[in-house]
Amino acid sequence: MTTDSMGVDDVVATEVPPGALPTTTYGPIVATTHGDAAMGERILDVRNFSVDYGWGENAVRAVDDVDVHLDRSTVLGIAGESGSGKSTLVYAITRLLRAPGVIRGGEARFNLGTDDEGEHIIDLVNASERELRGVRWSSISIVLQSALSALNPVVRVGSQFEQVLKSHRKDMSKDQRRSRAAALLAMVGLDEDRLDRYPHELSGGQRQRIMIALALTLDPQLVIMDEPTTALDVVTQREIIGELFELRAQLGFAMIFITHDLSLLTELADEIVVMYAGALVERASARELYEAPRHPYSLGLLNSFPPMHGERTELTGIPGSPPDLAHLPTGCSFHPRCPYAMARCTNETPPLVEIKGSDRSVACWLHVGDAGVAVPVELSRVATGTKKFDPATEVAR
Amino acid sequence: MSDATKGPVQLAARNLTRHFSVRTPGRLLNARRVVRAVDDVSLDLVAGEVVAVVGESGSGKSVLARMLARIVTPTSGDLVLQGTPIAIKSKRTLAYASQVQLVLQDPFASMNPVHRMSHNLLRPLRIHGASKADAPALAEAALRRVSLEPPSRFLESYPHELSGGQLQRVSIARALCIEPKVLLADEPISMLDVSVRLGVLNLLRGLCDDDRLAILYITHDIASARYIADSIIVMYAGQIVEQSRGTSLVDEPKHPYTQLLVASVPDPSDPTRDVPPTGEHAQIAVAEKGCRFNPRCPHVMDRCREEEPPAFVVGENHTSKCWLYADHEAAVEVALSTRRREGETATT
Repeated sequence: MTTDSMGVDDVVATEVPPGALPTTTYGPIVATTHGDAAMGERILDVRNFSVDYGWGENAVRAVDDVDVHLDRSTVLGIAGESGSGKSTLVYAITRLLRAPGVIRGGEARFNLGTDDEGEHIIDLVNASERELRGVRWSSISIVLQSALSALNPVVRVGSQFEQVLKSHRKDMSKDQRRSRAAALLAMVGLDEDRLDRYPHELSGGQRQRIMIALALTLDPQLVIMDEPTTALDVVTQREIIGELFELRAQLGFAMIFITHDLSLLTELADEIVVMYAGALVERASARELYEAPRHPYSLGLLNSFPPMHGERTELTGIPGSPPDLAHLPTGCSFHPRCPYAMARCTNETPPLVEIKGSDRSVACWLHVGDAGVAVPVELSRVATGTKKFDPATEVAR
Repeated sequence: MSDATKGPVQLAARNLTRHFSVRTPGRLLNARRVVRAVDDVSLDLVAGEVVAVVGESGSGKSVLARMLARIVTPTSGDLVLQGTPIAIKSKRTLAYASQVQLVLQDPFASMNPVHRMSHNLLRPLRIHGASKADAPALAEAALRRVSLEPPSRFLESYPHELSGGQLQRVSIARALCIEPKVLLADEPISMLDVSVRLGVLNLLRGLCDDDRLAILYITHDIASARYIADSIIVMYAGQIVEQSRGTSLVDEPKHPYTQLLVASVPDPSDPTRDVPPTGEHAQIAVAEKGCRFNPRCPHVMDRCREEEPPAFVVGENHTSKCWLYADHEAAVEVALSTRRREGETATT
C-alpha cells in the first residue's frame, strides 16, 4: 500500500462510487476536432500537461510538463514512487481531480472512434461536465487501489452494477441488467450469487475483481488501473493480472497501468514511462527499460527489487529519499540521489529528449550528445529483445 | 537445524497455537466456529540470524509476531527466553519487553504525532530504567545506529516532518535503544517507498551481523526474505508448511503452496516460466480436515483430504509439510547421510 502525500486517492475514491452517479442521461457528445487532429490508432494524446496543488505562491507542482500517449489496445505502464505524480496525472486527465488540484496547462485529447463523419475527438481538459459524463465509464473507466473504499459499503454488489446500467443504458430492462451484471461477474471468475452480497462480505481479491467488472460494464475503450493489485498478495495479484489480460484479449480495451512495482510492469506493459518528482524521466518499451535502462533513477528502481535467482549480493538501491515537491532541488530533481551527477545537473533541468536512432526518450544530461562524458556501461546496455511474457496465455485455472 | 557456528538461541517458541472463536454470519445466534490463526508453530530465534516468515494476508504471521512479543496470549504452547521458560498465560513483564521488541508495519501510525521524536525515544528509555541524564545520549546513539545523522536534528522533529523511511528507522531505533536481544519486525518495509526499502533491509541485516541481534522478519514479499534471511519459513493458514535454511526454499520450492508463491512473484528475468494454477477460486480456501491447502492444491490426493501431513525432510535443513514427500523422505535421508559421511571423510 502506498499513501499518496496529497491524499488524492481518498478524495477521488469518495467521488467515484456508482451510487454517486447522476441518474439523468446525456445527449451525444459534441466532438471537438482540432485542425491537426487525425489521431488514427492513437486513443489518448496528452501534451505539455501540468498540474498544481494550490494557487499562487503556495502552489506545488505535482505534474510538470508531461507528454504521454497510447494506442488502441495497448498497455501503458506508469511507474513511480508515492508523490511522483502518477496518480495525479491520470486523475487530472480524466478530470476527476478535485481542489486544491488544478490543471495548469496542456491538452489531453481522447479519440472516441471513427464513423462516417470522421474522427470524434474530445479535448478532456476543456470538455464541459456534460461532455465528460458522456465519456466517463462508457469510454474511459478507472479501477482504484482500495476496492473497499471505492465500493459503496451499504449497497449490495448487484445494485452497484444496476445503478451504472440504469443511468447509462436507459433501454435495458431489469432482467437484462441483472443478466449483464451476472455475465460481468462470470468474466472475472465470480459466481452470480456474489451480486447479493455486501462488499464487506467479500475478500480483497473478490472486491478488486468486482471493481474490474464494474469498470468493464459499459465496454470502455480505455481502462485506467491505479495500483489495482498493490493491496493484494502475490498469488491473488498473479491471478487477477492473468484474468485482466484474458479480458483485454477478448474485449480489446487499452490500459494505463499505474504501479510502483517496476518488475510487475515490465511483465505486462507494452510501453513504460517512469516518473520522478512530477516529471517524466524515461520512456521506453517495457523490455528495453528492463534490460537497458538509460536514466539512473530507472536503473536504481530496477536494482531495488531483490532478485529471485542467483547468488545473494548486497544491493544498494537508491540513497536518500524522494524529494519534497514543495522544495524541489534545483536542476535535475534527482541529482542529490544520483551517483552519476555532474556539475551541470545541479543547475540545469535536463529535457526529455529522444535518444538518436531509437523510439525511446530520457531526461538525463548523460545522454545529451554534447555532455562530453562517457555514458557508464550500465546505462548504455543494448536490449536483446527476449520473448515478452503474455499473462493471458500463462494463466491456467 | 544444527549448525556449529550458530549463536545462542535467544527466543524459542514451542508449539505456539492461537485460536480465535468467531461468530458465523447467517447461522443461529450462538453458532460459533474456531479460527485456527496459528497452529503448532515452533521456531528458534538465534543471535546473529534473521529468520523470515513469509505468508499471504491471513496466514497468521502477524499473530505469531504478537505472540512472540507477548501482546497476544497463546491458546497453548511455550516460550523460552534465553533458556528460561516463560509463563505464557501471565502478564508480560518489563524484563521480557526489555529483551524482545516489536517493530510494526506502519511507521506513521506507530509514532505519537503530537510529540517530537525525543519524546518517542526517551520514554521507553526512562521506562526501562535509564536515568534522566543518560537517556538523551542513549537515544542519540540509537539514532546513529540506524544511520540518522545528525541525531540532534531528528530528536527535535515531529513525525510529519520525516519521510516514511526515516520514520521506520526511528521506530527501529526506538526498539533498539533499550538494547533488546530479539527484534520482531512485522512487515517493516511494505509501507515504504520502493527506493528506500533496501536501505531498511540492509540496516536490519547489519544489526544482525554487527550487533548479534536475533531478528524475526515477517513479510509477504518472498524476494526480500530471500535477500535478507538465514532461514525462511512459509506459513499457510496458521501452519508452517515449509522451511529451510538458506535460500533452498526459494530456489527449489517443494510444497505446492511455496511453488505457487514463488512462481507468482513478478520476475521479468524469466517471463516464460510456468505458473501453477492458483486455486484461489476454491470455495473453501482452508480445509478443516487433512492438509489445509488441499482445496487449492493441484497435486491433491485422497490422503490429503483425510490426514494432516507431518513435516517431511526434503533436503538438507529443509522440510515440507506435504504428503508428496512421504516416500521421498527415506530417499532424501539416505542421500543426506551419505553426503554427510563423504564430507566427514573429506575433512579427516
